[in-house]
Amino acid sequence: MFNIPKNAIYKRINRRKFLELGGGVATALGTGSLAVGLNSTIMKTSVQASSSPEAKWKQYAGSKLVFMSENTPPSFAIRDTIKEFFDLTGITVEVLTDDLPVVLQKVGIDVRGGKADFPVFYSQDKPIGAALADYCADLGKFIKDDTLPQDPEGYGADSWFDNFLDACGSMYEKGKIVALPYDAAIACTFYRQDVFEKHSKDFEKEYKYRMEFNAKTTWKNVLDYTTFLQKMKKAGQDVPYGYAQHLGTFAWTTQLDIQRMMYSHGQWLDFKIDDILGSKKPGPTNWGDASSIEMMKQYKALADVCHPDNLANGTLELNTVYQSGQIAMQIQYHEFAASVEDEKTSKAAGGKTAYAPCPLGEASWIKNGGKAVNGTNCGIGGIAINKNASEDIQRAAFIFATYATSKKLQYNVLKGLGGTPTRKSVLAEPDVVAARKRPTKMPNALTFEPVYDFGIKAPNFVLGPKIPEVNEYHKILHAEVSKCVAGKQSPEDACKAIKKQTDNVHDI
Amino acid sequence: MVPTGSGSARPTTHNGEHYVDGARVIEYLPSSLNALPSSRYYLWLMAPALILLAAITLYPFFWLIWMSLQNVGAGPETEFVGFKNYIRLWADDKFWTGWVLLFKYSFFCLLFEITIGVFLAVVLNGHRFENILITIFLMPMMMAPAIAGLVWYYLFNSTFGWYHWLFQSLGILGETSIIGSTETAMAGIVIVDIWQWTPLITLITLAGMKRVPRDQLEANMVDGASAVRNFISITLPNIYPFLLIAIMLRFMDNFRFIDVIMRLTGGGPAEVTKVLPVYLFDVSFVFFKLGRGSAIALTLLIVTIIFGKLLVKVFENPASKRIDQGN
Amino acid sequence: MSSRDAVVYKTPLSRIWTIFTVIFIAFYLLWTLLPLVIMTFSSFKDLLAAFQLPPVGAFSEIGLFFNFTPTTKHYYNLFVNLGFTTYFLNSIIAAGGSAIISVVLGSMCAYALSRYEFRGKSDLFFWIISTRMAPVVAVLVPLYAIFRGMDLIGTQAGLILAFTTFNLPFAIWILKGFFDNVPYAIEEASMVDGSTRFQAFRAILPLVAPGIGAFVILCILFAWNDFLFASIIGSGGAKTLPPATVELVQPQNIQWGSIMAAGVITTLPMMLLGLLIRRYLVTGLTMGAVRE
Repeated sequence: MFNIPKNAIYKRINRRKFLELGGGVATALGTGSLAVGLNSTIMKTSVQASSSPEAKWKQYAGSKLVFMSENTPPSFAIRDTIKEFFDLTGITVEVLTDDLPVVLQKVGIDVRGGKADFPVFYSQDKPIGAALADYCADLGKFIKDDTLPQDPEGYGADSWFDNFLDACGSMYEKGKIVALPYDAAIACTFYRQDVFEKHSKDFEKEYKYRMEFNAKTTWKNVLDYTTFLQKMKKAGQDVPYGYAQHLGTFAWTTQLDIQRMMYSHGQWLDFKIDDILGSKKPGPTNWGDASSIEMMKQYKALADVCHPDNLANGTLELNTVYQSGQIAMQIQYHEFAASVEDEKTSKAAGGKTAYAPCPLGEASWIKNGGKAVNGTNCGIGGIAINKNASEDIQRAAFIFATYATSKKLQYNVLKGLGGTPTRKSVLAEPDVVAARKRPTKMPNALTFEPVYDFGIKAPNFVLGPKIPEVNEYHKILHAEVSKCVAGKQSPEDACKAIKKQTDNVHDI
Repeated sequence: MVPTGSGSARPTTHNGEHYVDGARVIEYLPSSLNALPSSRYYLWLMAPALILLAAITLYPFFWLIWMSLQNVGAGPETEFVGFKNYIRLWADDKFWTGWVLLFKYSFFCLLFEITIGVFLAVVLNGHRFENILITIFLMPMMMAPAIAGLVWYYLFNSTFGWYHWLFQSLGILGETSIIGSTETAMAGIVIVDIWQWTPLITLITLAGMKRVPRDQLEANMVDGASAVRNFISITLPNIYPFLLIAIMLRFMDNFRFIDVIMRLTGGGPAEVTKVLPVYLFDVSFVFFKLGRGSAIALTLLIVTIIFGKLLVKVFENPASKRIDQGN
Repeated sequence: MSSRDAVVYKTPLSRIWTIFTVIFIAFYLLWTLLPLVIMTFSSFKDLLAAFQLPPVGAFSEIGLFFNFTPTTKHYYNLFVNLGFTTYFLNSIIAAGGSAIISVVLGSMCAYALSRYEFRGKSDLFFWIISTRMAPVVAVLVPLYAIFRGMDLIGTQAGLILAFTTFNLPFAIWILKGFFDNVPYAIEEASMVDGSTRFQAFRAILPLVAPGIGAFVILCILFAWNDFLFASIIGSGGAKTLPPATVELVQPQNIQWGSIMAAGVITTLPMMLLGLLIRRYLVTGLTMGAVRE
């Protein structure tokens, strides 16, 4: 089974430098033998362009890679089926999973320290990709390399869903690809159809229009629905609250949450930069302009009628609140559909939930003369390769990236744990097409219409902001928006505080 | 100091021994015994620990100083910027707010822990079940702070938390959870600290109370009305040095650990619980601004060392020494 | 004496006091135990059962808390699917290793410090203890950089060393107090009998052995409960229980059942050890400043 080639090159990546330095101490303490570190090892057989595909897959048989990933279904699925990859390539992959902030922390430390403990890592487009793009290898050279096995569908922008390759792959330089799309979290509206139907008549009496959710539903409508439900709730009726925002502790998702509203109204952007490429020197931020102040006011107005624990609920907690039946609407990432449709954990399962695109901008709220769109954003999780790793490790890592983003794997994950495909071709599979309607075996497929057919397309989709200081920017935004929602500062002051601090980060 | 060569004792003969009335009389004493201990011998004993300690503490300290003078940007390159990081800190509201919140947090923790802890000690002292009760009360201290944070997060949750249900049922809180409101979030993290560490105060106070002369205490039981006055005039002076130690220790631990805060609020909502170490964590491990992070870390270290100096003074306080020896 | 006690119990004020203390103790007992009880019960509950709460104010329905079919699936899941056996062993190795190193090196150093007078001793002593006081977050970055350079990140050896940064100064500080209490005469007597100095040192070890044993356990406790070092330095190859538990907070579903089960697994051994060294706890937790 272990096909060890005759001309194998052994190269320990873990050079055990500690034997020279601190190893003296460690060994003296008798702990040296306990060291079971993270080491990637490489074994290599030469292949030519003309070699068989099988030989190309197997060229690094006997090697070992460490993949650092977020603890989401695709990664669990990959870990569960990693034997398949081993059978295909002979490469052992250790899949480590962690919370996104922890992944950022660990990968950041690794690549910035000039190391490659994690030769392949999960690169969530903005928090990791935009922050660490300089440390990611350009995948373009591997894609062109005919001594490597390549995906039959290729890696062109067309083989992925609209904008996906740009979202996670394009950072600051045209033509350089820093990551391949591996999983996707696209925002869409989850709402309680049963609650809407039940109260539609009462609502119509008061507001003179129907209580429903579709692509034409605006943020103003969301505010109305929420106000209406809150009033009933306060009157002691047995209804859920209307809406809740993503505040909690996860700063990035707060930025995304307010961004959806901002972008819907005149396609407002945080910085005057190219939304696709981003910029290392973004210049002064747009916060503090008339549009942003208006939006912050509306965000606060919405917050005032939201679920009472609005400030404590981050993205994950929000989904729990929705699952427990306490709110009637949430804008959530489409990968969460699987957990909402799980009868074992969710009171919103069993056909009670329907899915719609993110709300449309309200024309009367637009201050910059732009148009109203259904502002939709995403976190496209890419697979990136550590530039610090040796050439051979990078190549072996690319083989893994090819496998991990392949149609077959994505299809299997979707069928199993409920994944979020990034390759268009997955959606063409007959049973995936069938799964888009209830009853379904792939709950995430219920969201495909608002997400893949609508949200991610122009003009609704917003990719950025891609800036190196993105994480500090998220934290600043998160803090000031929370303070505004908590009533500790006015919307105008919040916008000004964001501008002051953000510009300070960029030395302006 | 008399040099004694190798420092270790040389082989001794037992020739000079004889007995007088059953007692051993030694005429020959090993030279090593009379000689003052060799400094080299003791240095050898100390060396491994000190070298190891120096390697894992001194080097980081100088690294921090060096790093705090650098600007570590988004890229791999660093640039020497002198005191720019410190100047920037001076103008950084979050830095100062961090300090204020850290002291506020520590103050409230201690206020409640001392009040409840001392009272508990008074109640428990000499109680029939003192031993078993204190053993039970100690249990929260054994729990990892990170786990305690998770458990309390679960208890406080507004959707399924039993404590939230209790607070709501008692009318203390509305539908907003304790960690979801800027007014109560600080109370939330303080409550967890009280739960975990009040027993330590009780334990320390009890140790101090055992040294209060018993007859005096019994005398004050006769006259119930003056019990409080006697507590102030007899017990308190006796346990005061112990309380001081407790206060210093808890204060330092509040500086050292942020596990509970990270799990419960992460510094939120709206940064009302963003104590300095949490901010430091963000700067170093989320923004990767290692230069700025090092500057913050140094200020934190220096304040801790000043506290440490005070603490050691308290340790060597003649008052507590005297009591110790009297035992 | 006894007659005086009898008098005490008859005054109305002290009767109120007695009743009050009983209530206070009962309340404090509840306050201490409730989180532990809820944690333990929830670890045996299915997710939906764990999420059940009575309506607000309905104190009569509090029995709902006990209304569930116990399941051990969370524990099974932890050990069988989530690799907690490894994490448990990692915890034991890292905490135990650091405790042993700290106490062995620490007792040698503490003995020397106790017996040997030299200039600057108090400064040295202060330096030792100040390393113990340093905020973990502050030293984490440089320590990481050093360990990274030595390829110790994600290894047991690295984690043991990291735990040693706080355990070693603790051991030195506290064991010095122990050696101070052992009269020099005992070593003298031993040397009279022809022991070498090192043998004399070993001769007094049994006298401090119970203390040393207790502090090995305390060092284990400190290391076992650590989170920041464990998650940053031990990440990957040497994951211990606290970071492993925190990782169960996952984007799709926060697995509360498993988290509570992991909480029980992490906490229970430490509580038992705490019981074992109950006598030394005050001394240990106050760094030797207070003796019971």
